Amino acid sequence: MAADLGELKEMIEAALPGATVEVVDETGSGDHLLATVSTPRFEGLSRIDQHRLVKAAVKERFDDGAIHALSVKTSVPGS
Amino acid sequence: MADPELKAKVEELIGANPVLLFMKGTPEAPRCGFSMRVVQVLDAMNVEYGAIDILPALQPLREVTAEISDWQTFPQLYVKGELVGGADIVEEMFESGELAEALGVEQPDAAPTPQAPPAQSPPLQIE
Repeated sequence: MAADLGELKEMIEAALPGATVEVVDETGSGDHLLATVSTPRFEGLSRIDQHRLVKAAVKERFDDGAIHALSVKTSVPGS
Repeated sequence: MADPELKAKVEELIGANPVLLFMKGTPEAPRCGFSMRVVQVLDAMNVEYGAIDILPALQPLREVTAEISDWQTFPQLYVKGELVGGADIVEEMFESGELAEALGVEQPDAAPTPQAPPAQSPPLQIE
């Protein structure tokens, strides 16, 4: 089963309401996915905790093997 | 469920080493690009760190770190007993100066230097 970028974006948006989310396939091969996520929710969290929130949102797709690796870039809007 | 004995050993190592990297391969010979990127950052920071090659026990160690830190991918950099992150986070924090702060060192001027390419074999001589 291949990664569905739109679905991943929706899963992250559902877990982090109001976040600006972009998911891209950097190589077109499906194994270098990058999720860029920006939300005020990240304020005050360590980066590892920000990444944990994003990874947890798409955990199901790791578990079922649809994705193997996901690079994550997080930020707080306006900072 | 992680092996309790291995988990206790890992916890002890994390507690005993202020800067500890779980990586694929060794700092001298990284076996994965992500691990190599973290080694380059740590070398640029000029800090002493412990490094553990996780390849001989990849799956058991994944189970252990999943329980300890809720994180299953490698590399993993621990500073003062806390998981800081993998390659993406370490590089971002290096660039922003947060890593120097976490390590308690000065931000180096230079970007991490790529490792020297493997030594070339001497040119062939035709006798």
